[in-house]
Amino acid sequence: MSLSNFKFFLVEALTNLRKSGVMSFITISTIGIALIMMGTFLLATMNMEGFLSQMQSEALVTAYLKKTADTDSANTLSLRLTSMDEVEKIQVVTPEQAAKELFSDPNEQQLLQIGITAEENPLPTTLRIKVRNGANLSNLLDKLKNEPLIDTFSYGEELYRQFEGLSRLLWITSLVVIILLGLASLFIVYNTVRLTLFMRREEIIIMKLVGATNWFVRGPFIVEGLIQGVFASTLAVFVLFLTYNFVLTKLAELIPFFTADVNLDQLVKLAIKLFMMGVVLGVSGSLISLRDINKFSRSTALYEGV
Amino acid sequence: MIELQGVTKIFPNGVRALNNINLTIKPGDFVFLVGPSGAGKSTFLRMLFREDKPTEGKIFIDGKDITAMPDSRIPYLRRNLGIVLQDFQLLKRRTVAENVAFGLRVIGASESVINNRVQEALEQVGLSHKRKMYPTELSGGEQQRVCIARAIVNNPLILVTDEPTGNLDPMISQEIMQLFLKINARGTTVIMATHNHNLVNKLRKRVLALVEGQIVKDEECGTYAYE
Repeated sequence: MSLSNFKFFLVEALTNLRKSGVMSFITISTIGIALIMMGTFLLATMNMEGFLSQMQSEALVTAYLKKTADTDSANTLSLRLTSMDEVEKIQVVTPEQAAKELFSDPNEQQLLQIGITAEENPLPTTLRIKVRNGANLSNLLDKLKNEPLIDTFSYGEELYRQFEGLSRLLWITSLVVIILLGLASLFIVYNTVRLTLFMRREEIIIMKLVGATNWFVRGPFIVEGLIQGVFASTLAVFVLFLTYNFVLTKLAELIPFFTADVNLDQLVKLAIKLFMMGVVLGVSGSLISLRDINKFSRSTALYEGV
Repeated sequence: MIELQGVTKIFPNGVRALNNINLTIKPGDFVFLVGPSGAGKSTFLRMLFREDKPTEGKIFIDGKDITAMPDSRIPYLRRNLGIVLQDFQLLKRRTVAENVAFGLRVIGASESVINNRVQEALEQVGLSHKRKMYPTELSGGEQQRVCIARAIVNNPLILVTDEPTGNLDPMISQEIMQLFLKINARGTTVIMATHNHNLVNKLRKRVLALVEGQIVKDEECGTYAYE
């Protein structure tokens, strides 16, 4: 495409956007609203993932060693595990220390009744493993499973699984919402372009008569879709981030020590994603609508009779 | 050169618009296409710029079979043709100069080429002083001259025109005819469908008469009469 062609397309697209102001406004608003909703779901998912990853990184895995393990072998194992990438630090808790902790906790009195006393201590040696920030928890768990000295371990899996399930549900919902809103936006763009095509039928017929290729005829409409997508996504990013910032500020006021789990880098990536989605929606809506351009460009209507 | 070999056009409703047309038009010819309404004149012209395809037969322009041409090549065929229709077909929201420039814009010509060629074409039709006006501010004759300027701005080999004087009074029709003669004198082949007896009889060019889709007369220096 030559520069003069692009200039022509751009001028045509801008002129048409201006002339059919209400229709352009409706299209831009529809794509914009769809993108805001898509963005909201994406942000929610991102926050949930951030929360999950924080949960993972702050996870404390308690490994219960077999009864055969003495303090020395526990220390050796602790040293070996500390050298792993996933492990930040390990605290070895002997059965005596564990018993002391139990005694200090009045809620554990029931346990005492089922046989744990200061004299008779059935508690195993345990390792309290602090997971390194951002590490993959499931990797570490896999490795721990293969340790012969470790009997069982716990890491608050129930809560973690619930959050993981919720996160997955949010992802699926986001995906469905994105697809549905994407289709709705495509439909709106499709209809707008169709209507514009019909209104500019005469112009298209003349373009074709003087030797314009189908792509040349499509050019201004595609650029128009592109501009609409750009406007809509800019609007969406602006509204979404302002609202997000407002919500975060409000939450910070309400909940002490509240911090968002989404950083600036992720927000920029989200903005780029929304921008791309806007452009793709605008352009593909136009393209679908223009696939049978020949229908609008036959000059038969210009003739009377046979 | 234009050559039609056994061209027949039957519409889906069964109407036989053209029936086994065989003819040759030499480069630089001026050909009048006459005949009653519904005789197939417009269909004949439409076949020349591949707006329609014959049901049977072949059409060659400059040695190329345009009936076998893929759709994607049609724009390039039309860039060598000038097309002028009866009802002026101008874009009302564009100025005279922009309307004429349209034919060059679609082929991606540069701004300087467009400016020069539009000026030349408007000078040829005597409308360079009205280049900034809009079609609605012009008379019927002037509007048709703008269409002619748009058709010749690409220096076409062939000018196809359907009833160009149909909506114009006799005096203006004469002026428009003079323009076509001038364009023809430069070497452009002109094929014109018309009902205007006076012009045909006065100019004595080649006359093809179509009646019910068949050529009933093909006469050099002919007259309008075909019955």
